[in-house]
Amino acid sequence: MPNHEFECSKCIPERKLHAVLKGPGEDLTSALPLGYLSTIPGSISERGCAYCGAKHVIGTPMKDVIHISHGPIGCTYDTWQTKRYISDNDNFQLKYTFATNMKEKNVIFGAEKMLKQNIKEAFKAFPKIKRMTIYQTCASALIGDDINAVAGEVMEEMPDVDIFVCNSPGFKGPSQSGGHHTINIAWMKDKVGQVEPKITSDYVINYVGEYNIQGDQEVMVDYFKRMGIQVLSTFTGNGSYDDLRAMHRAQLNVLECARSAEYICNELRVKYGIPRLDIDGFGFEPLSGSLRKIGLFFGIEDRALKIIEEETARWKPELDWYRERLRGKKICLWPGGSKLWHWAHVIHEEMGVEVVSVYTKFGHQGDMEKGIARCEESALAIDDPNELETIEAMMKLKPDIILTGKRPGEVAKKIRVPYLNIHAYHNGPWKGYEGWVRLARDIYNAIYSPIHQLAYLDISRDEIATDKGFMTQRLASDANLSKEALSSTNMREYTGIYDNIAYLRTKTYPVFERKTAAAV
Amino acid sequence: MKDRVVQLENYIMKNCLWQFQSRTWDRVKQNENILMKTMQLLCGEPVENKTPADRCYWVDAVSMADAFKKRCPWLLDMKKEEIKALMQALKERIDFVTITGSLNKELTDEHY
Repeated sequence: MPNHEFECSKCIPERKLHAVLKGPGEDLTSALPLGYLSTIPGSISERGCAYCGAKHVIGTPMKDVIHISHGPIGCTYDTWQTKRYISDNDNFQLKYTFATNMKEKNVIFGAEKMLKQNIKEAFKAFPKIKRMTIYQTCASALIGDDINAVAGEVMEEMPDVDIFVCNSPGFKGPSQSGGHHTINIAWMKDKVGQVEPKITSDYVINYVGEYNIQGDQEVMVDYFKRMGIQVLSTFTGNGSYDDLRAMHRAQLNVLECARSAEYICNELRVKYGIPRLDIDGFGFEPLSGSLRKIGLFFGIEDRALKIIEEETARWKPELDWYRERLRGKKICLWPGGSKLWHWAHVIHEEMGVEVVSVYTKFGHQGDMEKGIARCEESALAIDDPNELETIEAMMKLKPDIILTGKRPGEVAKKIRVPYLNIHAYHNGPWKGYEGWVRLARDIYNAIYSPIHQLAYLDISRDEIATDKGFMTQRLASDANLSKEALSSTNMREYTGIYDNIAYLRTKTYPVFERKTAAAV
Repeated sequence: MKDRVVQLENYIMKNCLWQFQSRTWDRVKQNENILMKTMQLLCGEPVENKTPADRCYWVDAVSMADAFKKRCPWLLDMKKEEIKALMQALKERIDFVTITGSLNKELTDEHY
């Protein structure tokens, strides 16, 4: 696998080791991009910081917690409401964010007194919330404020509250991933084991590395509940603080995003003997395989197979409708860390698209191993590219759509390449069977949007036809379809409802007879 | 034999995640246990799956054994000794790609 050198990065020779082109017949032992290294000065990375990784990605999805940042207001504001981690607690953790709003005088004279005052004010303002997480920022870390001591004082004065301190200032790691690591280990060390949960099923799991972006967690928990599995805690989407303190009592850790949460799974395995099962919640085949494996683990494979059969029958005709129309379209799969390997193979196999490039913003070499193993030959794999490199890649590869986060996505828009935000989501949920069809629908809508017919015209240069109307989406997408596809009575467009999460929250579930008085 | 190992290896690399845990010692255990159990299933031998750890290896093995039989029908015509030799060659290959030949520098980090 040859390393790939961007023209725009010839002046930064270190960048050559961060991109490879997957060639025919090659394997991972011939080349692998470097990853999770300090950002190269001058490359102007699009990474976020370790505070963001700890607070915005992992901490704040916890739904019954006051999340307060001890630092300048900008840290808090810029990590607020840019990710759709909804919850069934009326989105408390999305609606409200808290900051101590450190200023210059606090940097000089210290801010511990102000922090303590802020903590008490926050609890007073929301008396029903008894849990808090305090996030250190670069400013409070550099001046050495002892947040743990302040939190300890408050917990002594207010015994009904519990506070978790996350010391992950922005500079603590090369990227968001540094923050993921810090909060995983800190939660394991400081909080796991403090609460004994109520066990309601013979089959108990932690669902780890799932952040409930636009309801993804609730889609998966629906399947688990239909199997009679108790989800003791979710780390951390739609998750409850005290449930997460009881993680040590699960029988199995079902791990979705290994990039952000394999650390706590590994620690739970070492300390409590809880095994770790890596799954894929995206794509019909991988999801079916994952549900079956979880069912097998507990001896309830039949329940998993029933769900697989029902869901596949309901949604496959709709996935196939989009597959016919997306076949051969080129996509760049440019997520943060784990979707590059969750989707690299299955989006090609089940939606028919060609993945011409994969990248990771903050992933490690392990993510690249998985992604390159799963993607097709001739895909360009890039670690932590900057804006100039992504523009050069898009100009060269000419993708029909980019699946990425909001920062690189805005760059794609400016050169008129459609983009779908698969980080914080443009739509969603995209997990589960119906979710995968929704993703196909959103990719279809983006690629075949009639706006492109306008956007690509230059009125200062191009001849603008006045005798032709615009092609609708269907005219554009169906132009080259086979007769069989056009005349199919089985395949159909998406027929789901707008807000399927609201529906899931009203469902009732079967009660399965317990075999044991309490699960082991 | 080499061609058959490649077919099985390609399936694992495209579809499985169990072989890519983040440290060498975990990859050694995953490769050893899951491939051993897969071999036992393919040979119709009894498989240990009493402890939670064993069950976790076993579920990946069941999934893989079923996929191998579906995608590689020539497996069904093989004798036990041939399957064992094939799976041993597969294990050596997976060990090379994911452990001894891996370019992942984090594998040897002593902490998680």
